[in-house]
Amino acid sequence: MNENLLTVSTSPHILGRMSVRSMYLEYIIALAPALLVGFYYFGFPALITVLLTVASAAVSDFVASKIQKKPTTLGSLHILCMGLMLGMILPPGAPWWLPVIGGALTVFLGISIFGGIGAYPMNPVLVAWVALAISWPEAMNSFLEPQALGSGEEWNEAETLLMQLKGDVSTLEMVEMGVLWLGKVPGYIGSTSTWALLAGGVYLIIRRIIPWQIPIGALLGAIVMALIATYTDPRILELGYEEFAANMNVVWFHLGAGGLMIAAFFLGPEPVSSPVTPWGTFLFGVGIGLMTIIVRTWGGLVDGAFYGVLLMNAANPLLDRIRPRVIGKVVSGA
Amino acid sequence: MKLANLLKGIRLPRPPAAAPPVDLPAPEKVYLPLRQHRGAVAEAKVEPGEKVALGQVVGASEAFESATVQATVSGVVEAIVDTVDPAGQKVPAVVIKNDGADAWAEDSTLGESLTDPAGVKGTRPSHLLRRLREAGLVRAQVEGRPLHVDLSPPMAPQSYLYMTGIPVVRPVDTLIISAVDADPPVCPNRSCLGQSIEELSVGVAALARISGAKRVILALPSGSDTASIAAMAGQYEWEVASVSQTAYPFATDNFLVQSLTGREVSTPYGEPKDVGVALQPMISAMDVGKVLMSGRPVIDRIFSVAGEVKNPQTFRVRLGTPISEVLAAAGGGPSRPGKIIVGGPMMGLAIFDPTTPVTRETEGVFVQSAAKVVAYADHPCIHCGRCVAACPVNLIPSELGKLCEFRMYEEAADMDLMNCIECGCCAYVCPARRPMVHFLRHGKTEVLAGRME
Repeated sequence: MNENLLTVSTSPHILGRMSVRSMYLEYIIALAPALLVGFYYFGFPALITVLLTVASAAVSDFVASKIQKKPTTLGSLHILCMGLMLGMILPPGAPWWLPVIGGALTVFLGISIFGGIGAYPMNPVLVAWVALAISWPEAMNSFLEPQALGSGEEWNEAETLLMQLKGDVSTLEMVEMGVLWLGKVPGYIGSTSTWALLAGGVYLIIRRIIPWQIPIGALLGAIVMALIATYTDPRILELGYEEFAANMNVVWFHLGAGGLMIAAFFLGPEPVSSPVTPWGTFLFGVGIGLMTIIVRTWGGLVDGAFYGVLLMNAANPLLDRIRPRVIGKVVSGA
Repeated sequence: MKLANLLKGIRLPRPPAAAPPVDLPAPEKVYLPLRQHRGAVAEAKVEPGEKVALGQVVGASEAFESATVQATVSGVVEAIVDTVDPAGQKVPAVVIKNDGADAWAEDSTLGESLTDPAGVKGTRPSHLLRRLREAGLVRAQVEGRPLHVDLSPPMAPQSYLYMTGIPVVRPVDTLIISAVDADPPVCPNRSCLGQSIEELSVGVAALARISGAKRVILALPSGSDTASIAAMAGQYEWEVASVSQTAYPFATDNFLVQSLTGREVSTPYGEPKDVGVALQPMISAMDVGKVLMSGRPVIDRIFSVAGEVKNPQTFRVRLGTPISEVLAAAGGGPSRPGKIIVGGPMMGLAIFDPTTPVTRETEGVFVQSAAKVVAYADHPCIHCGRCVAACPVNLIPSELGKLCEFRMYEEAADMDLMNCIECGCCAYVCPARRPMVHFLRHGKTEVLAGRME
């Protein structure tokens, strides 16, 4: 008997370096800039909210795996990443039970009930977020006025720009676009800073973790729909914009405000619940962009980005049927 | 290179520079399998105890898809035993004990020698083809076909092409000589770049003459020193194309045909011949040139050793040398060997017996230590879509993998499972480390088995 037995298996005999753990680690790294900006502007209340969400998600996953008698999957960082993302779309300074319930809902209602990673049809973060938004609208709609870290002033309640826009379109003219894109506006913890989200999203695209079609599609959809809105919405028409640049300013406002950026770069392309085919992913993105602006302009809700993602998640099986042509396939009668 | 090739497939690390091949002394004993290709097993033409000379025929067959086997050392036939071929099948082999004389057999010549491409052009294609058949050359890949089969026109119309609008028998008008190694760390072609230019020119001219190709394209690896080949190509009005070595799998046959001529080869049964292209690796062309110039059969093979050996190197090895002896000449493998892979790391076959002989269908081995052997995981598909982005033939591997895993083979076949080329890109990029190629191969086998019933 030869003691140096050889291994025999199918090819390939080398693998790339990416694992589920490293993929979600990079996801968390990409989320970090926006999260840090959130901590900078919303300080201690934001930190507490995010920590509570992540801790609650982790504990819930541990409990869920015990109930299912499965090994825990915390090591893959998937649950932590989901918890972090939920924390980023909660208002800073929310009552302590809100993030705790949110984290538990993400794991139980979003992930475990469908069978864990790879099986859930809709983004679990948004499932939990919608449950919270429907159940406790007041808690989910109280925001803080941002202030630089360490200024030590009292926290003041504030309305988000999109809420003001619902009541009065002249908000559009009072916004300084630079401040808006930097993120010094009231809003969810991690979704205010457009530049930071953009940086993280581009990193994910370069690392080939999210398909480029989803963010590009979402931004294109939003731009087109926002232009249509500025040219047709009677309330905006009353403002009397004549130049294209002024109308384009409305587009920049929509890109920078609310949850569009985090939905386009992080929540929409979340690996498990997004489609996989090239045209499917693109249409998925376009749908998110359209929904966002439609709801903001004509809908009853304040922001449509998160609902857009959920709606497009439901269309996943359809989108995945748009397959590219297989190279080398013999087509009869061609 | 096309833009689509940048977005699809995977990027492999750039392989180290390749040194020209080193002659390996003839071994004590050679094991000559009587089938070194896809097709029929040759009959042994020698008895144990018989004395044989270099180049003497030891195995031959009447079947068309079969190649003659010649003695690659002079000496005494010891026995006819069973060995394994790289695919793991049993095959009878003639064992010859080397007497060190290296004396050529008197009747080993295959006609007068042709020393330049002009002489080749004056010879009838059928003559050239017969000489290649007598020399028993084989396309260097596992389950490769004898060269004379590869170069002959199809015997009958190909049934899989009836429906496509492609003319059923299309004359070959283009010859592609590929000096790019599809699976880069194993680099027999690259290490021969710039070697024996005369043999190459005769070989390419002969292949063009046999196949009837008017246009000859030499596909050379980008970033290598190819000045001498380019000069030769200029002399005979052959085209030169530069192909990336790191964009995998775009150096494989069908993709080379597509990127160099724009013609699409149908899968799974199609071959470049169907669209009027003959494609041979450069080492095949060199062998052809050698046969025609010397008038003798080729008794050695360019064999590349890569991976975890002390000195990764390319050797010129006598056919029939056990692979373990070649590894020893390369400084020995790792202390705890894991895998010995015939072919490259992406598409090669792991063998279980290190004494498997070097045959005409092998072009190199890739060695892994036990520590580097990859572990696939029993993880569910996470639907991330990285395999879809990587698949060079636009399949949805994640879906196919799931279907094959849960025994829904016909459903998978409806989603074009059979068009998979088993390049391994999906498994390479999979973060869940699912054994994708295993699933897909298993599914294909089951589909074929199901259709046979």
